[in-house]
Amino acid sequence: MTLGSGGSSVVVPRNFRLLEELERGEKGIGDGTVSYGMDDGDDIYMRSWTGTIIGPHNTVHEGRIYQLKLFCDKDYPEKPPSVRFHSRINMTCVNHETGVVEPKKFGLLANWQREYTMEDILTQLKKEMAAPHNRKLVQPPEGTYF
Amino acid sequence: MANSNLPRRIIKETQRLLSEPAPGISASPSEDNMRYFNVMILGPTQSPYEGGVFKLELFLPEEYPMAAPKVPFAYASEPNHFYEEPNYLEGIDWDSVFIPNLSGCCGEIEVRFLTKIYHPNIDKLGRICLDILKDKWSPALQIRTVLLSIQALLSAPNPDDPLSENIAKHWKTNEAEAVETAKEWTRLYASGA
Repeated sequence: MTLGSGGSSVVVPRNFRLLEELERGEKGIGDGTVSYGMDDGDDIYMRSWTGTIIGPHNTVHEGRIYQLKLFCDKDYPEKPPSVRFHSRINMTCVNHETGVVEPKKFGLLANWQREYTMEDILTQLKKEMAAPHNRKLVQPPEGTYF
Repeated sequence: MANSNLPRRIIKETQRLLSEPAPGISASPSEDNMRYFNVMILGPTQSPYEGGVFKLELFLPEEYPMAAPKVPFAYASEPNHFYEEPNYLEGIDWDSVFIPNLSGCCGEIEVRFLTKIYHPNIDKLGRICLDILKDKWSPALQIRTVLLSIQALLSAPNPDDPLSENIAKHWKTNEAEAVETAKEWTRLYASGA
């Protein structure tokens, strides 16, 4: 069985997929409002990553820099990474105690597909910050962490 | 079946790798992905890696061994009329047509070390700096030739074209000591346990 191969018969194995994502992250993405990189350059399995999102314009998040931790286990990308905010944030899909992005409240993780990437997660979270139910929520002080 | 439409070339190469393995090299496809190989390379004799068993992983991308040529579609769809420019292409200023840089998208074998190794052309993530894996890739190369080249790279480190700057510097300033470190790492990480 090819899990989540999206119609194509060629499945890029986990490690080569993460090497691709690493190279893409190093080159820089789009306008630079989302970015990510590996935490431990020695970890041959490339498990632990830090992501950054710059808060979108015309929201309470504007100008803030949010740090997130992404963890890609052995079963990535068949399964999504675990994602949590390191910077404190008040957002409907984020657990208030732990900063964990709750898959049940965040569609991209709930309906995960193999082709999705860490970039997709960060980009979608940025969009979520600008959604009507999030853009005006009162926020914790800047520079505080979970 | 996931692998039912595996290209004939890959099947042939795999059969030959299994039936006539190159000395000091073994490569076998994983059960659930016939394009993904587990590889072992023995450290060449008289190199700092002698006695080591090095594990690698190798993947044949969808484009392997070569991507379809990136020519304007009108030419590609009519291979017998290569020199006859269709009417609707007349007047195109070809100098203004963006031709993408094709390196890294042309069917190169992807391969890296999983065993830690002290070598100027191999980085911490096991990625290998070898021209045939990049701009010198040719569809005539095969899994076997690539693995033989990697084995040869272990015998002949090239600190002038480094991937790991620190290791290359070590190699150039004090080769004897760098070789000792490479031997030490071979004992520590590549003992085959």
